[in-house]
Amino acid sequence: MKHTSLRHLTYMAVLTAVALTIFVIEAQLPALAPIPGIKLGLANIVTVYAVFALGPGQAAGILLARILLGSLFAGGMTIFYSLAGGLCCYLVTLVLYKLVGGKQIWVCSVMGAMAHNAGQIAVAVAITRTPGVLAYLPILLVSGILTGLFTGLCAQFLLSRLPKAGPPNGRP
Amino acid sequence: MKSTKFWIVLIAVLLCVCLAASILVLGGKTQSTTAHLYQGGALVRTIDLSQVNEPFSFTVEGPAGSNTVQVESGRIRVSHADCPDQVCVHQGWISNSVAPIVCLPNQLVIQIGGSPSETEIDGVSG
Repeated sequence: MKHTSLRHLTYMAVLTAVALTIFVIEAQLPALAPIPGIKLGLANIVTVYAVFALGPGQAAGILLARILLGSLFAGGMTIFYSLAGGLCCYLVTLVLYKLVGGKQIWVCSVMGAMAHNAGQIAVAVAITRTPGVLAYLPILLVSGILTGLFTGLCAQFLLSRLPKAGPPNGRP
Repeated sequence: MKSTKFWIVLIAVLLCVCLAASILVLGGKTQSTTAHLYQGGALVRTIDLSQVNEPFSFTVEGPAGSNTVQVESGRIRVSHADCPDQVCVHQGWISNSVAPIVCLPNQLVIQIGGSPSETEIDGVSG
């Protein structure tokens, strides 16, 4: 990460707070389906937005801060699932970041969500030591594609509507 | 940079493959009537659901609290869980589904059939 101005840092902090709020509120919603691991993943809107608006390094910082703080609120084993899913998602987003254009940001989110679900299932298999849990992988991937498409389009819309308010480059 | 069409086709293909696999998993039926309870990967209890005449329930203790497992003739469910998300409770009764009941906080998995010993017995009797 290059030199981070106070403005940039503040902006990252605000984005982290937004992501954390979304994450905590979403955790309070009842499960969408009686299948472990299915959720909207709305907090990923912020991650995708940050990758494209601020750059991968700062997005990683926001993502890690959100996962660590979010797991504090959620408690239990959440941190393992969130970390594995979040890192898989981030890596895939990073690879695609170079490959997609401004109108294809949703692709990052879809692929990232699938990677997130795959990472989560891997942790679930490791923790329960029961390969039978893998039966849920295709269902989670379907949900990942659909929710990833939704959050990706949200992020893309946000990026196109917030060009000036995005990364603040002016002097503090 | 690939065209948007490329990505749409790629993701549509992925979606179709995953949908097909999901339908196989959700619609899949096992011939077995034996429920296996795993906790942390270890088989803790085996119940032949076809042999159950009187409904009964028991409690399984796990790292995050307890699950109450209810058994009736031919079906099994988690009727109560200490965890906040209650995913395993909402999964409801299973009788011959391929997809197992999973309680991640308590590392509890209830699966019908699918254990190696089960296949072995089937192989011998079949």
